[in-house]
Amino acid sequence: MIFSTLEHILTHISFSVVSIVITIHFLTLFLLVDEVVGLYDSSEKGMIVTFFCITGLLVTRWIYSGHFPLSDLYESLIFLSWGFSLIHMVSYLKFKKHKNNLSAITAPSAIFTQGFATSGLLTKMHQSAILAPALQSQWLMMHVSMMVLGYAALLCGSLLSVALLVITIRKAIKIIGENNNFAFSFGKIQYMNERSNVLLNTYFLSSKNYYRYQLTQQLDRWSYRIISLGFIFLTIGILSGAVWANEAWGSYWNWDPKETWAFITWTIFAIYFHTRTNTNLEGVNSALVVSMGFLIIWICYFGVNLLGIGLHSYGSFTLN
Amino acid sequence: METLLNPSKTPNLFIPKTHLFKLSFLHSNFNPQPHSSFNRRPLSITITCKVKTSQGRKNDGKNISKKIVLTDSAPELSNEEIKAKPKGGGKAWGVIKKFPKRVLAILSNLPLAIGEMFTVAGLMALGTAIDQGESPEYYFLKYPEENPIFGFFTWRWVLTLGFDHMFSSPVFLGTLILLGTSLMACTYTTQIPLVKVARRWSFLQSADSIRKQEFSDTLPQASVSDLGVILMGAGYEVFLKGPSLYAFKGLAGRFAPIGVHLAMLLIMAGGTLSATGSFRGSVTVPQGLNFVMGDVLGPTGFLSTPTEAFNTEVHVNKFYMDYYDSGEVSQFHTDLSLFDMNGKEVMRKTLSVNDPLRYGGITIYQTDWSFSALQILKDGEGPFNLAMAPLTINGDKKLFGTFLPVGDTDSSNVKGISMLARDLQSIVLYDKQGKFAGVRRPNSKLPIEIDGTKIVIVDAIGSSGLDLKTDPGVPAVYAGFGALMLTTCISYLSHAQIWALQDGTTVIVGGKTNRAKAEFPDEMNRLLDQVPEIVESSISKKPDNIGG
Repeated sequence: MIFSTLEHILTHISFSVVSIVITIHFLTLFLLVDEVVGLYDSSEKGMIVTFFCITGLLVTRWIYSGHFPLSDLYESLIFLSWGFSLIHMVSYLKFKKHKNNLSAITAPSAIFTQGFATSGLLTKMHQSAILAPALQSQWLMMHVSMMVLGYAALLCGSLLSVALLVITIRKAIKIIGENNNFAFSFGKIQYMNERSNVLLNTYFLSSKNYYRYQLTQQLDRWSYRIISLGFIFLTIGILSGAVWANEAWGSYWNWDPKETWAFITWTIFAIYFHTRTNTNLEGVNSALVVSMGFLIIWICYFGVNLLGIGLHSYGSFTLN
Repeated sequence: METLLNPSKTPNLFIPKTHLFKLSFLHSNFNPQPHSSFNRRPLSITITCKVKTSQGRKNDGKNISKKIVLTDSAPELSNEEIKAKPKGGGKAWGVIKKFPKRVLAILSNLPLAIGEMFTVAGLMALGTAIDQGESPEYYFLKYPEENPIFGFFTWRWVLTLGFDHMFSSPVFLGTLILLGTSLMACTYTTQIPLVKVARRWSFLQSADSIRKQEFSDTLPQASVSDLGVILMGAGYEVFLKGPSLYAFKGLAGRFAPIGVHLAMLLIMAGGTLSATGSFRGSVTVPQGLNFVMGDVLGPTGFLSTPTEAFNTEVHVNKFYMDYYDSGEVSQFHTDLSLFDMNGKEVMRKTLSVNDPLRYGGITIYQTDWSFSALQILKDGEGPFNLAMAPLTINGDKKLFGTFLPVGDTDSSNVKGISMLARDLQSIVLYDKQGKFAGVRRPNSKLPIEIDGTKIVIVDAIGSSGLDLKTDPGVPAVYAGFGALMLTTCISYLSHAQIWALQDGTTVIVGGKTNRAKAEFPDEMNRLLDQVPEIVESSISKKPDNIGG
């Protein structure tokens, strides 16, 4: 009894703290950031509190139910929001010096996933359930945790790239609008990109352009690093899942919908890395690939569960 | 910026004019302010350059280092493999000889590989959207010709292209094979030469080329050997030759992508072996009975050859299940004994769901269970074995039932006692009218009186659902998995290179990295801050040759 109330309390604390953090972020956005350093610090502290709350929540659930808290959709959603706050913590601790734009991505993601998990849609699943025989294995910890952490990192990186795309397309629309030329093609964007790069090195067109360029460069690099990390987790997750399947069911690849979509996600991000090797395609095109990857991750994680078929039916649910 | 264009400011460096000239035009981001010293060369050389910046262009960095290396023996690398073959005699022979090279060049084209990967992804997505393995009538109904999806997609598309068995259809397998050959071609032509480039450590002898790196800085009053020591402390491998320094870190990060591709090739080879050379089978065996492995296993492909172990006889000693307190099934176990052809017991093990039995290359998995028979005593006579039949209900819970006829068994409308069970724990009994009579557990041996008949449930005999498999490709696939995990982790490492040049009392430092571009400037600044400043007016001793 005490554990479930503790769980309740922790859930509510983390949810409210994250909403406060997001509110602070929006406020600082509208009040023009730099003056309000004090608020920024408190929002960072808020994210730390959230991290510890969600960790506490997961540990409580683990102790209470006796199995690692990753057996159904509700628990994996909580784990996903934990993954987001973990990414935030790691980047905060590693790069204390310069202000991190990453929290603008991780905090809303954490709150959305947690909000969805705790919302009325999934109330049936809040109780910790018992594990089916096939899930009683040490591999559960490694496979599912790696997959969910991989999803968290890839989602973060994808959102950064989407931000990059939005900024670039808005700039391109502005430039094209200024040139009175309404033909919209990606080659043009690339050309505009290169042109502004060239002009940048000799004279600044405007300080706003320079900062935007810096921002897109930073977003691009951050996105690349985080997606690399997520890709490693995803690879390890898929492969450990295959080994587990071989131990449990006798074959390491069954073309199950969830497995197939995980493989499709992996392929899309492999395409992303390959587009980056060729410098002509870098920048906008790779960001487009990543945006596709964002959608595909959601299909893989959620959409397949809605079907509720196949070997991965543990994660299924019905919307009622 | 101006020192870049003004050669007179770079003292003491023995650089032929040609190299310097090529330098300045590679970095052609300037407004052409003509310096008199440059006008001696005709401007035709400018045609070879594109507008490039020094940031974010990996190939450019490679080109710069290639052109600057003073050792003349640095040939063009990517064409080396292709052009080095001797010209064979005869034009036709030459064409035939060129053919594999041309094929290789086509296959290792990157956009082609990207297109193949997209195709594979798209086909897989389609494979999950279309229900697999159904009968043709199913597709006639689902994708009718009268009402095609998207205006053209009918069952004809599905069946001719093999989309009903997508993952073994020729289209899909063909694309996979093409991807595999592209992978091999790319590894051969692009990545292996990369190894040669990366391993060659090259000193940059001119300050201008150092300044053109992604990150560059100047340290006044410093010595290049101090820098070398600091870099060694930070984990770099440092090479010092005269006034110039070259250091690198994380070289494994450059080679790891090759490892990734090789691991993938290994996995594909193992998978092919699995698909063509394995045996599979499944069987449901009631407790107490046995079967021979060879009778159950069937081949999957043309490379499947049975082994001696196929003659083993498997005897199910006992099948039992564990339950949670709530009544749900927690685990099921089968106690198996294996006997060889002579009747000697060679193995005995209890299987459960995540714990298979391995013998002689064959693996037995516990995948399912069933209810074989119910053993009862009727009015003290027996025991009678009543076979239990599976009943279909909605959901994935199982239900089994059996029927004990009471009274006149020859009449057409025979009545009796029905017994239903969800698992082996408890049996629910119903009387002749179908009314609920009671629940009994097989262990209790408690009798139950129904319509004048005394029933004692003696035992619930379950049957074990076993899957058998032999797969020669598994070692290769597992090795590939391990290699892939490892090499993917290693390719996260960033290969950082640093060049430095002692120019009088100042040290000019430049560096670049291939992955961690965001953190590199910070790391460099941190390291450079540690280089001590030399307060004396002269640097009298020459830096020694220190090897990293």
